[in-house]
Amino acid sequence: MSMVKAEKTAARSAPLIESSFIGWLHKNLFSSWINAILTLVSLYIIYVVVKSLWIWGVADAVWVAENRRECFDISKDGACWAGVILWLDNIFYGRYPRGELWRVNLGGLLLILWMAPLWLPRVKDKIFIGLSTIFLYPFLAGYLFAGGDKGIFMQLMITGGIVCLMGNTLHSLIGVFSGGGLPEFLLGLLGKKDASDGNQRNTLLAILAVTFVAVYALQMSWTVEVVPWTKWGGMFLTLVISGIGITTALPGGIILALGRRSKLPVIRVLSTSFIELFRSVPLITVLFMATTMFPLFMPEGFVLNKLVQVIIAVCLFSACYMAETVRAGLQAIPRGQYEGAHSIGLGYWGMMGLVVMPQALKHMIPNIVGSFIGLLKDTTLVSIIGLFDILGMLRSISQDVPWRGLHKEPLIFGAMLFFIICFIMSKYSRHLEVKLSAGANR
Amino acid sequence: MTATEAQDAQGQLASAASSEVIIELNKVNKWYGQFHVLKDIDLVVHKGERIVVCGPSGSGKSTLIRCINRLEEHQQGDIIVDGILLDKNLKNIDHIRSEVGMVFQSFNLFPHLSILENLTLGPIWVRKTPKIEARKLAMEYLERVKIPEQADKYPGQLSGGQQQRVAIARSLCMNPKIMLFDEPTSALDPEMIKEVLDVMVELAETGMTMIVVTHEMGFAKTIADRVIFMDEGDIVEQNEPFEFFNNPQSERTKLFLSQILSH
Repeated sequence: MSMVKAEKTAARSAPLIESSFIGWLHKNLFSSWINAILTLVSLYIIYVVVKSLWIWGVADAVWVAENRRECFDISKDGACWAGVILWLDNIFYGRYPRGELWRVNLGGLLLILWMAPLWLPRVKDKIFIGLSTIFLYPFLAGYLFAGGDKGIFMQLMITGGIVCLMGNTLHSLIGVFSGGGLPEFLLGLLGKKDASDGNQRNTLLAILAVTFVAVYALQMSWTVEVVPWTKWGGMFLTLVISGIGITTALPGGIILALGRRSKLPVIRVLSTSFIELFRSVPLITVLFMATTMFPLFMPEGFVLNKLVQVIIAVCLFSACYMAETVRAGLQAIPRGQYEGAHSIGLGYWGMMGLVVMPQALKHMIPNIVGSFIGLLKDTTLVSIIGLFDILGMLRSISQDVPWRGLHKEPLIFGAMLFFIICFIMSKYSRHLEVKLSAGANR
Repeated sequence: MTATEAQDAQGQLASAASSEVIIELNKVNKWYGQFHVLKDIDLVVHKGERIVVCGPSGSGKSTLIRCINRLEEHQQGDIIVDGILLDKNLKNIDHIRSEVGMVFQSFNLFPHLSILENLTLGPIWVRKTPKIEARKLAMEYLERVKIPEQADKYPGQLSGGQQQRVAIARSLCMNPKIMLFDEPTSALDPEMIKEVLDVMVELAETGMTMIVVTHEMGFAKTIADRVIFMDEGDIVEQNEPFEFFNNPQSERTKLFLSQILSH
């Protein structure tokens, strides 16, 4: 039997149930009697929970009071946020001298200023900006936070940091407004647009050198007073430790993962045992080892401060976890990709850097951000070995005489802070995933 | 010169082979574990020669050409490509790989890069060609494989035939002296096979040295200077295509040909 359909069937719009709000309700919440009842019961439970939370946390809460007794006098069943509010500075900065808080804030601002161009469209050379953040910002911020005398090395790095930050910012502004870059702009200003390559390069180097010397001379007289690390604390300390951990985790993890997959037995065995050693021990043990055992192995008189020991421990720990994440990502890349890269003559590093890693990292983003979030939360363990990070600060509120016994509110406040930071991180990772997979996965 | 003009009475492309030797295999042996894949392979390929390798699956034909650019390591014997002995020297291997193009059954394009970036990756990073020139070169080759309009798409957005043509262009961008094809049409739908074979025939006309592993016997008849039949790690028979198909000598070849030509 043969059949011929002469005309094409025209496309029609979807039935209403697919598109309208009522249709959505019907399909997702009230599709059957049982589902309708479940929906109503769930709504009731949500209502009860939210209502009591609202009454305790907002409606009946006390926002201004001198001490806990006063809180009770004003409202017996409400939350006592007054304690948290009076302690806000402590929660964020620990015991950092109150007159010097601007340094911490400035450090944070600089970081934002430095990294902001990475998210702006039309800015070129983002890799350079990113790398300069990793390599120069820590020196600038480190000096801002710690203060004291600057050695020659620190002076050079600080100068480099300042010059780089100025350059980056100008470069990005020019990029956003005119679509060009700083070098072209400077050459245009000096009327050297048509000069030879060598001439142009020398001009730019001269400008760089002059700026460097000028900034160096200016920063020589600039000093800020010492703030010993024992005064660092609160959210600030948590972010410093986890920030350093996060930035070193990825490069460290990539190196360890490549080492573990290496064909050279010595490198492979070393990397594998290093990774397995750190992964089989809880972070708190690593922290204790770093602060109590490590000094025993060091020559007498060799004192490393506890904060540095803790940071090193956190970095090693997070790098080992990251290594396994990276390894999993590498294993997901089909062998054909390696062969394709080899077949056009790319060597090991070209293959890894241009073909394999970009693909692997893209697959790994959710896991990477997951371990970043984990690390941020794990750093609160340092409060156990006597650093006053955010958790330490939150818990010491209840030791403070006027607020003795105030446990619930500070911890809830801390939970909200962590939630906000972690939620932003995970949203951003989702955004990155979507952005990076554009095109490739279609 | 068009394909028809270049073909002689037997419907064959005129040979471009010269007397200069470009690939030489001496008593090459390879094992996968205990499995002997290549057994005492001797092979000499001249510059401009076009060789088709056929044989049943598992006969070692893919392994053979993968040894030529060292995607597989052989254990005994010598492989000399373009005057360079393949050994553990990584520099030599990278150099040989940049001179030997390879096209795979599964394309192996880089999915995270656009078509143009796939093509310019080698020239920019291996040959150190300036970006603008590399792009120009890439567009030329995309024109040659007839898909310049796909330059800004990603591999995942192209059909299999288009992807394979991009893969050929990607190899050609490195300006290779030798092209290896590892079953380039085996993963394609019948209607796409032709577009890829057409590109390969055009490439053959330019005098490129080619070694092609394929089951496309029509293609072999058209372009090959020599057909090699492999079975169980041996080169069983090699001959010019007309003789090979019409007058096979060994029993194994006869059996193989009767099986693939019977339908």
